[in-house]
Amino acid sequence: MRRILTTTTALCLAALAAQADELKLGLATAQTGGLAPYDAPVVEGIHIAVDEINATGGIGGSIMIELNEKDVRSDTAQTSISVQELVDAGSEAIVLPCDADPSIAAAAIVDAAQVPAISTCASSPTLPLIGGDYVFANFPGDNVQATVSASWAFEQGMKSAFILYSPDSQYTTMPLYFADVMKALGGEILGEATYNIGQPDFSAVATQIAALDPAPDMVMTSAYEPDFPTFIKALRAAGYEGQIIGSDGIDSPTTFGLGNVAEGVVFTTAGHATAGSPLEAFNALYEEKTGSASETVFNAVGYDLVKVLEAAVMAAGSTEPKAIRDAMANLEDVQGATSLITYRGTTGMPVRQVSLIRVKGGERELVGQPSPNADLIPAPRMQ
Amino acid sequence: MELTSSRTHLVAALLAALSFVVVLALVGDLVGTSVERTIIVFLVSLTAISAMGLYSGNSGILSFGHLSFMGVGAYVSALLTLPTHIKEATLPALPGWLASTGLGLWPATLVAVLVTMAVAVVVGLAIWRLEGSAATIATLALLIITHGILIGWRDVTRGAQTFFGVPRDTTIWVAAIGCLVALIISRLYRDSAWGLRLRAGRENATAAASVGISVPRERFIALVLSAGLMALSGALIAHFLGAFSPKKFYFTDTFFLLAMLIVGGMTTVSGPVLGAAVVTLITEILRRLEGGLDLGFMEVPQVFGTTQIGIGVLILLALMHRKDGLAGMKEWEEWLIPTRRAAVNPKPLSPAESAPVIAENVTRRFGGLLATNKVSVTVRPGEILGLIGPNGSGKTTLLNQISGVLPPSSGKISRGEQDLLKLPSHKFADAGIARTFQNIRLFPTLTVYQNIQVAALSSKGGRDAAARVAGALQWLGLEAVAETDAGTLSYGDQRRVEIARALVCQPSLIFLDEPAAGMNREETDALMDILRRINTDLGIGILLVDHDLALINALCHRIAVLNEGRMIAEGTPEEVRSDPAVIEAYLGTFTKQSTVPT
Repeated sequence: MRRILTTTTALCLAALAAQADELKLGLATAQTGGLAPYDAPVVEGIHIAVDEINATGGIGGSIMIELNEKDVRSDTAQTSISVQELVDAGSEAIVLPCDADPSIAAAAIVDAAQVPAISTCASSPTLPLIGGDYVFANFPGDNVQATVSASWAFEQGMKSAFILYSPDSQYTTMPLYFADVMKALGGEILGEATYNIGQPDFSAVATQIAALDPAPDMVMTSAYEPDFPTFIKALRAAGYEGQIIGSDGIDSPTTFGLGNVAEGVVFTTAGHATAGSPLEAFNALYEEKTGSASETVFNAVGYDLVKVLEAAVMAAGSTEPKAIRDAMANLEDVQGATSLITYRGTTGMPVRQVSLIRVKGGERELVGQPSPNADLIPAPRMQ
Repeated sequence: MELTSSRTHLVAALLAALSFVVVLALVGDLVGTSVERTIIVFLVSLTAISAMGLYSGNSGILSFGHLSFMGVGAYVSALLTLPTHIKEATLPALPGWLASTGLGLWPATLVAVLVTMAVAVVVGLAIWRLEGSAATIATLALLIITHGILIGWRDVTRGAQTFFGVPRDTTIWVAAIGCLVALIISRLYRDSAWGLRLRAGRENATAAASVGISVPRERFIALVLSAGLMALSGALIAHFLGAFSPKKFYFTDTFFLLAMLIVGGMTTVSGPVLGAAVVTLITEILRRLEGGLDLGFMEVPQVFGTTQIGIGVLILLALMHRKDGLAGMKEWEEWLIPTRRAAVNPKPLSPAESAPVIAENVTRRFGGLLATNKVSVTVRPGEILGLIGPNGSGKTTLLNQISGVLPPSSGKISRGEQDLLKLPSHKFADAGIARTFQNIRLFPTLTVYQNIQVAALSSKGGRDAAARVAGALQWLGLEAVAETDAGTLSYGDQRRVEIARALVCQPSLIFLDEPAAGMNREETDALMDILRRINTDLGIGILLVDHDLALINALCHRIAVLNEGRMIAEGTPEEVRSDPAVIEAYLGTFTKQSTVPT
């Protein structure tokens, strides 16, 4: 309710300042259906950022952000209709769902209309590549996460790895990027195995890993629930004692509740709220606005998205869509809630800091927040 | 393929479909933008649900699996139109011939339709015998299996990942043509002999088989046809979106499309049109409201999810108040335009066969119960044989065995050289054996004319169907009620429709199971007259089961008596009347003066 009041107040203020310019931001995101668990918290973060900016008179004190929201119901066809509606309604920037299907389907529309579009949290680095010049991502790319974790491991003296990946989805192939980086650094991949998402039993691959001689220094996977818990239990039961490296897919309460088997697991994720960090400030703001603590980093990711747009509009000095796109493609070190964000020199996949977290006694421990070495980041794979 | 409805109806229906689709496409084309996109999605959905209705509506089997065919159509067509450079980048393991193929939308769609129909042939053979809920569960399995294959066959489908780069060739006119093709084919199918047979099978499978309809075969044809149209809709949606993955053809969309079908009604082609229109309209209205709006005096906050709730409520309302959907059981033109059929000279329905049906030692066990115990009976063309016996004596079981409805546990049933036990039940009509049932089995939502017509079309190769129907209607005096729904007739009239339906198969033997049950004396007398004339004028043999011994005595040349599954007497009415065993069976004890009641 407070949010509605704030929005209303902001809108009233906007109406008063009639001469002020505005940025028409269209949201075609999934508020219902399978993608809602990702898109909904991102949009919450977007609201907080928009309210914050509008309360200070808009971007640069003069350009109010006007939201036009559509629920695409996690459906690709509905996304293409909604995005067309937003384009028809004169949106100057558009937010797309977290998934590649609808985002790619919508890409043709935003490309034809020359309106920049940002996916809420799709992490596949191929998305902006396929989507064309007007499609941007907002999440640490799979290849960026893999670069950060591989570089960290190598610096720690771990040089041999086993990777477990699933060709079922783009995300679960992240270990292939990890292997690329590891090899580029001079490390060694002792073996790899694949699994199916939802596979009930991992004992065969666990035995295979435990029997390797010499044993790999680490096992890397981007498996998430329910596969990750099953896998790690099987792996520890088989007697493997080396380092296990995961990705942001396991940044969930489940992982921290696994007990001994998960102890020492290190994974990459979008951000970590250290004392005095922007993420801590965002979390405080979130709690103030909504009355409850932020439960997921996706809230902050939504805040980041608006910060990027704000920076792009400031740099462009206009709300003309093409100008926003060009400015956005050249943004460097925009301060978001989770990280510094850079698009310059990328194909539309942001370079962001990635946080490395270690599971310690059921709690999260920050290992580091390194910025990846851009030269090491593997090129996106199409297959 | 013979069409079974009047030309006026078909012309009206097809013109309406044409103008509806063309007007919609024109509106979309002129307004453009998101309205155009909404209409394209509407047209593609309508293509899909008219295909789903073609199968589910006519067969009565709700299918959850049709999105599999849509998926196969989408992937096959997209693989054929995908530009080669994208194939090289995204599908490097594709076989060479496929990697180098680059077809246009229409040829690719045609190939996709044919491939999908081939898939449906395999599926159809696998589920050939399944009926009712077993068939529905099988379609659910099909959906899950196909989804698994689409995800698993990574070299060809990119697995669960987005299949992208498909040329966006589905313009509003392309979608309109596709939709029109689907509407026309579904409408023509519904009123073809195939469609009418399948609808009869949906209403009553046993009765359908007794007039010569192989219900599994008709279901199979419908499945393959509807799969082809689903593939068409799949190709259209693939080339509209340009990017999709297997989840597009899974539960979410299945239920969305089924919602349209259930709301509109699946037994007609008007149903899908109405359903798609209503659901789309309500979705569009709710979608605009859920974003929040300003009513002037108050502001309605933004609440997402109302669209789905709205559709859910709509399905509930439809199920509660109109369980056959908004369109009901008839096409709009069948409600509005009276049926007129060209007058046809009735054909004399004389039988072709002259050999008797001989049953020898026919035994049927139900668990420990011997329903018929080594019963031997001969039924001859030209004669009226009465079969009597107390309740539970095995009369209907015997009738079911010699008419192919129920296979005997042991024994022999033959006609001339033909071993009838080797004949599937739907072949009995063509072997010259037709029947009626103790508890009337009509096709209640079909008209009297269609009830008889479907039997005519399914027996004797469908030759002279119209003339035979006219003959049967005339024999039973049903001309006046020909265009009435059979299920709405009086009991006596329904009995007569059943006899007409048996007669139209041009049998040499008709088995009648209690034809006078529920009739008053006058109706019974009229029926006796008709039966006698069928026998004397046409030379058709009749096997008559009835409790009305007056009727039996007056009509039959011979009478066979069953008791506790055994044949206890056989002979002329006089002989049987004085048979001590018969008297005992009927009266319980033997007394000197007793006679069988007349």
